[in-house]
This record gives sequence, C-alpha cells and structure tokens, in this order.
Amino acid sequence: MAAVEEVRDAMYKMVSGSAGQKKWKATDLHKACIELFGDDYNKRKEGKEAIKELVNSGKLVYTYFGGSFIEVPRVEGAAND
Amino acid sequence: MAVDKKYETPMLDQLETGPWPSFVKEIKAAGEENPMANDLIGLLEQSYTERLGHWKHGGIVGVMGYGGGVIGRYSDLPEKYPAVSHFHTIRVNQPAGWYYTADVLHKLCDIWDKHGSGLTNMHGSTGDMVLLGCTTPDLEPVFSELTELGFDLGGSGSDVRTPSCCCGQSRCEWACYDTMGLTHFITQKFQDELHRPAFPYKMKFKMSGCPNDCVASIARSDISIIGTWRDEIQINQEEVRNYSKNGVNIVKEIAVLCPGKCIDWDGNEIKIDDSSCRHCMHCINVMPKGLAPGKDRGAVVLMGAKAPIVEGALLSSVIIPFMKIEEPYDDMEFWEVIEEMWDVWCDNGKARERIGEFIQRVGLGNFLDEVGLEPVAEMVAHPRDNPYIFYEDYLEEEDEDE
Amino acid sequence: MADAKPQRLTDIGPPHHDRFMPPIIKKNYGKWKYHEIPRPGVLVHTSDSGDKLYTVRAGSPRLLSTKKIRIFADLATKYCGGHLRFTSRHNVEFLLTDAANIDPLIADLDALGHPVGGTGNSITSIVHTQGWVHCHSAATDASGVVKAVMDDVIDEFKTMELPAKLRIALACCLNMCGAVHCSDIAILGIHKRIPQIDLKTLPKLCEIPNLIASCPTNAIRPTTYEGKPSVEIQEDQCMFCANCFTVCPAMPIADPDTDGVSIWIGGKVSNARSEPMFSKLAIPFIPNNPPRWPEVVEAVRMIVDLWKANANKHERVGEWIERIGWPKFFRMSGIPFEKTHIDDFKHAGLTFKRSAHLTY
Repeated sequence: MAAVEEVRDAMYKMVSGSAGQKKWKATDLHKACIELFGDDYNKRKEGKEAIKELVNSGKLVYTYFGGSFIEVPRVEGAAND
Repeated sequence: MAVDKKYETPMLDQLETGPWPSFVKEIKAAGEENPMANDLIGLLEQSYTERLGHWKHGGIVGVMGYGGGVIGRYSDLPEKYPAVSHFHTIRVNQPAGWYYTADVLHKLCDIWDKHGSGLTNMHGSTGDMVLLGCTTPDLEPVFSELTELGFDLGGSGSDVRTPSCCCGQSRCEWACYDTMGLTHFITQKFQDELHRPAFPYKMKFKMSGCPNDCVASIARSDISIIGTWRDEIQINQEEVRNYSKNGVNIVKEIAVLCPGKCIDWDGNEIKIDDSSCRHCMHCINVMPKGLAPGKDRGAVVLMGAKAPIVEGALLSSVIIPFMKIEEPYDDMEFWEVIEEMWDVWCDNGKARERIGEFIQRVGLGNFLDEVGLEPVAEMVAHPRDNPYIFYEDYLEEEDEDE
Repeated sequence: MADAKPQRLTDIGPPHHDRFMPPIIKKNYGKWKYHEIPRPGVLVHTSDSGDKLYTVRAGSPRLLSTKKIRIFADLATKYCGGHLRFTSRHNVEFLLTDAANIDPLIADLDALGHPVGGTGNSITSIVHTQGWVHCHSAATDASGVVKAVMDDVIDEFKTMELPAKLRIALACCLNMCGAVHCSDIAILGIHKRIPQIDLKTLPKLCEIPNLIASCPTNAIRPTTYEGKPSVEIQEDQCMFCANCFTVCPAMPIADPDTDGVSIWIGGKVSNARSEPMFSKLAIPFIPNNPPRWPEVVEAVRMIVDLWKANANKHERVGEWIERIGWPKFFRMSGIPFEKTHIDDFKHAGLTFKRSAHLTY
C-alpha cells in the first residue's frame, strides 16, 4: 500500500501543476496514481483518504462544471463581489 | 430584517389570481420581512417582462470538505437586486418517505429564516428538501445548524445523488419490500460517495415498492429497485365478487387489459395463471381489497435510466430479475455487484457519461462480462435480430496460442 | 485548517424516519391490508389489526415559504398529532387517526387556498423544475406555466372522473431536472438559437478540450481568437441541447425571442397494463407568453379533453394513442404533423412506421 502522505502530495502536485490547463476528476487522479504507484495503490483506501485530506484542509476544493472536478481554490468566474 | 423597497409587479400579480396555490404569494409572503425574497420578486418580474432568466451558475461554492449539496447561483444583476447577488441552493437530504413532525419543520424553518431567503422547495426533483437562496458566508452556519438538528446535505455533481423512495410499507399494502428502510440504509452506506464526487457523472438510486413505481425509478434513476413477487397473487374471492357486484366489469376492465392474458372470470370466481403473470399491478390496482401481491416478495433491479443529456433519454433495463431484500441489508451480495459496476464505469467512463450511456457504448454483453454477471433472457425485450455478432471463441483460441 | 473546528459534524446522513412517523404507522408498518378512496383527496388504509389511517392530500406549488410550512405544521399539530408527509409529486399529506377531523381539516386547507385532491383517476400536482426563479439554463419559467395550467385543470385535481390517472410534468430545459420524458403530458423548455460564444471570457472560464467533447453532434470545433485557443460552432450541426453551456458558461444559449416550450405526450412510468414508455412530441414549439402562457394552457386543455372524451376506462394517454394510432390522434387534435415530428437522432429508424397497419 502506498502511504497516504505520498499519494496526497503527488495528487496535489498534479492538480496545482496544471491549474488553468487541465481539470482533474477524482477518477483521473486515481488513474494517474496507478501509473505512479503501480499495484501498491488502492484507490478505495489511500486514494480516497488522500483526496479527503486535501479537500478537508482546504488545499484543494471540489468544483462543478457540468461534472465534478478537484481544483486549487480560486475566485469563481460567475461570482459577484 | 426590514424590507423597505417595494417592487411594482404587474406581471406576477396576475399569477396571484386563480384557484391553484400561487408561488408568487409564497415569495411575496417571505418578502415581507426577508430582503432576499423581496429582491427575488423584483428580479423575477424583470424576467417575466424580458422573457429571460437572470442567473449564473456557480461551480465552486460549497461547505468545507463536501463536493455536493450546494449549487452555486449568482444573479447577473447584482447592483439592481443586491440581496440576491448570491442565491445558492442548499440540498438537504430528506428523511425517507418525506415524513416530518411539526416540531422538526419549525426548527428547520428557524434555521432558514435566520440564514436564508425563507423560500424552499418541498421537495426538489431528486427528493431533497431544497433551501433556495443562501449567501456564501451563510453556507457553513446553515450546515452546522442542520447537522446539530440531525440533518445532512444531499448530493449534487458527479456523486451518489440523494436516494429517494415511495412511502412503501409505511402506508402501502402493495410494497414488496421496505423501501424506506433500504433507502435509509443505502444513504448511510454511501455517505462518502454522496458527499465526495468520485464518478464520471451523477449516480441515482430510486426505490419503488411495487411495479406502479410511484417514484418513477425506471425513468429517473441509474439504479432502479422495483418491488415485485414471484409466487401467486393472493385472492379473496368474496371481495372480488363484491367488486363485480358494485360495477367493476372484470372481463372488460381486467381480463382483457391483462398483458399476460392470464385472468379468467366465470362470473363467480377469478382464476389467475400466475406462471404467465407479468406483475404489472393492473388487476390489483383495480381491486385492492380482492387481490394482493404474493408472499414471496423481493425486487427486480433495473439500471441505466436518464434524461436526454447527453446521448439521449433512456429507461432502465433489467440487470437482476429478482432479488430478496431482507435485513441485515449489509449482508446482501448486491453491494459487491454495485461496487464492481462502479469500478468498471469509473475506469472506462467518459466525462458526463451516465452508466446507462456507458453500457450503450460498450454493449450490455461486454458490461456483464466485466462486472461478472451472467446474461439471462430477462435482460432483453427480445434477442438480437441482426447477425453482426462478435463471436469470441475465435479470439480466445488465438489468445491460447500465444 | 481542518483542526480549527474539531467538533464539526459531517457524513451523518439524514435522520431516520422513525423519528417522524406517527404512532399508527409505526404500529402497522408492513401490515397494511387494503385501501379505499372514499372521496377525492382522501385515502383510507386499513391494516391487519383493523386500524384505519386517513390521509388527506392537498395540492402545493412546491415553492413554499417557511411561513406556509409553519402553517402546515400547525395544521398537523391541530388535527393529527403533528405528523405530516410530502409526496413524490409535491403534494402535502396529513395523516389522521380520527375520521371526525377530516372535514374540519379540509375546510382549513380550502380557506388557506390549498385544494384537496390528486388521488385516483385525477390530475395531480405537476412535477417541475426551477425556471426563471432560480435556474441559469431555463428556456422558460417553470412555476408560472405550472400555475397557469393548474388554474385551468384544477377541476380534474378535485375530482376523479378521468379514464385513468394523468401525470403532467414540466422541465425548463433539456437537462430535465424534472425528468419529464415519461409523462402523460410533458411541457419542455426549448432553445432554438445557437450559443452566442463569449470569446473574451471563454479562455478564462472553460477548458477547451472538455467543451469540444461536450457536444453530442461534434458541432463545436477548435479555433483561435486573438492568438488564444477558442472554439467555433458549425451552425447546421447544432441541435440546441445546451450541453456546452452546462460545461462552459461562456456559451450562453437563452434568447427571449426564440426560446419557448414544446409539448410531449403519452409517456408513463407505471408498469400497469402496458410497459413504461417515453412521451412523444405533439407540439414542437410554443413561444413564451408570460405571465400565463395562454397557448400552452389551451394546448394542455385540448389534449386532456380529447383523451377524456375518447379513451376507454383505465387507458392512459399513451395507451389510448397506441390503440387509435398517431395519425388518428393528429387528425382528431388538429395538431399539424411536421418535419420536426420525425426523429433524426440515433435509432430514428426504429420510430418509422414499418407496417401497413394504418387507419384512414
């Protein structure tokens, strides 16, 4: 099993590294982590836990644009001041 | 809160007249004290005048840690109607069967009067209690007060949407399983999947107690669990005779309309060939005192229904022809099947592709292979009528040679 | 940040319904024997134990103020121990154990402006969406059309004189939050103008590959605008579904002069007699005419009256039309049959008439 901290940091790097260019779904993150960690990676355990930690800490947020994504927090395009 | 501004609303005023209860009266009633509801009146009158909506979809707001339950909404006229500049929707997961007490409704209203517009939908299409119109800073306080009262948010986005069901055994003699019990169980079992979107798109469960399908599960849910039975319809001949005496024409109204053509009425006794019964409910609907579903009850599971977006509307189709639904629910093998299906869909589904569309794209046969279910004749209306068959024994032989 | 609020409750799910069900329901859960409808809007369920539960069902506009909810709650306290429920079609139901309370409760509901009915062979409340009240993608209002239609057909809510039940639903765009596509009569908001691309904000708001992939007919093509990646639309390939707008807010599609509603009929979800079926297109387009959409009201009334006068007992709208055939329906209704009635999406061929079974 891959360590939750390792997965969490890898996921954060993926999302923050492509902010503005690519929107990541949870399923995309799991697929990328399988590439990275191989058979060690369990999306139901450390995968789920890593996303939960990132979102609970506020480092990443869920967004919705016709489907749900996981992104770096940003100012909403539609928001009014 | 004081409301000083009054809007002229000649268009909306016309919808305060007439015998059906008026939503305009509701908004105006809330608007007497609530500035958000009051500004909504102004904005809506403008929409009626211009024949155009004035809302923008927000994609980011929510409560900390959840990806579902809050729909971001902003007006595109924030200067003119400042109180509805932020007007987010909060979906509150309803109790199964939509039962409430006066006491809990007053407490829910207290929370909403304090933090929101004072306007609701009882209920939204998926089944949630919908709180219409909340500002961003008020989202967390509303959430915290709701959880204190024992309520939680519902789903939105690419997650398990709030499961819903008919009133089932709580008030219906036709319910073939405990829809409310199962709905509560599913909602609790999949709390993580409900609040933290992890799918290609939405995933809806709807539970109906019998094939009358009062929650429209076959049209509106990815997983439709419809109660049914597999033994004989229970008959009370005396009551059937009473229906006949009281004007029900059993031949014309029941036997002729029976899709399995399995009902016989000799003027004194009703006979049913249960082996041809399609479990449609018609005869039982017409004579609820005379006929009842059998005693060996359970459910048929269908899957894949959806509205048109993106690839066209679908009705659910059979995946498990019959399944017993008995406590402890956690012991049911069904959950392993569900998780297997989710895995296949998550690994291969495209963005915004519902599981029904996914099955259409890859083929039901291939989907069954992946999930590990055996194909059975109940899954199709009829076998294929085209000969373009992907025979696989040839492929398998090749594989063995390698 | 997560440590800041250690007491914060999450993932508790909804409260268990046991907290809210009246004692008579708890006692007779799973033991109901049969039910009767002694009068429109009133159900009597009898259990194995002989207990009787009286349900009084009242119509609702779905959009309710907290003031009204409190009034409902107080009526429940006055007449039935503070217990009530809502139905899958937005009606409110009071759960009584004392039959003597039925008449006074109905009188109170009438005085409040909430008619009692919607049971048996009636038109019950219209399932509908948010419309201009709260939705960004609406092609029409929802509550206003529903109010105007129900004002007109309210007698069919208060009585049970139809051949079968009749379910009306309204969705204000093709997203169909109301999933209207299996209704006896569906009112569906329609856009007819292609999205007006906001070229300036598009790169900021939207991810272009996602946007291109969102189009079911591949009408959205990549291009550049002021040196940045952008998109253009092949006009003749756009079927106005607005899926691109859902994915990308810089593709607004609403337009007052070309938005309106279409009317679809003959769908059902119940398995009774015939299998569940989709609603089919009856009227391709009616312009938005607020505040009371008189052309929509008239069309719904015409279809209801035609069905009521011609259907056999127990025949839902779709079953009636299946029996008489669609050509006869078009002749009887006077609705002109047009090119738009012929399907041209996937599997359209399955909807062509492939036999000589015709009526003349």
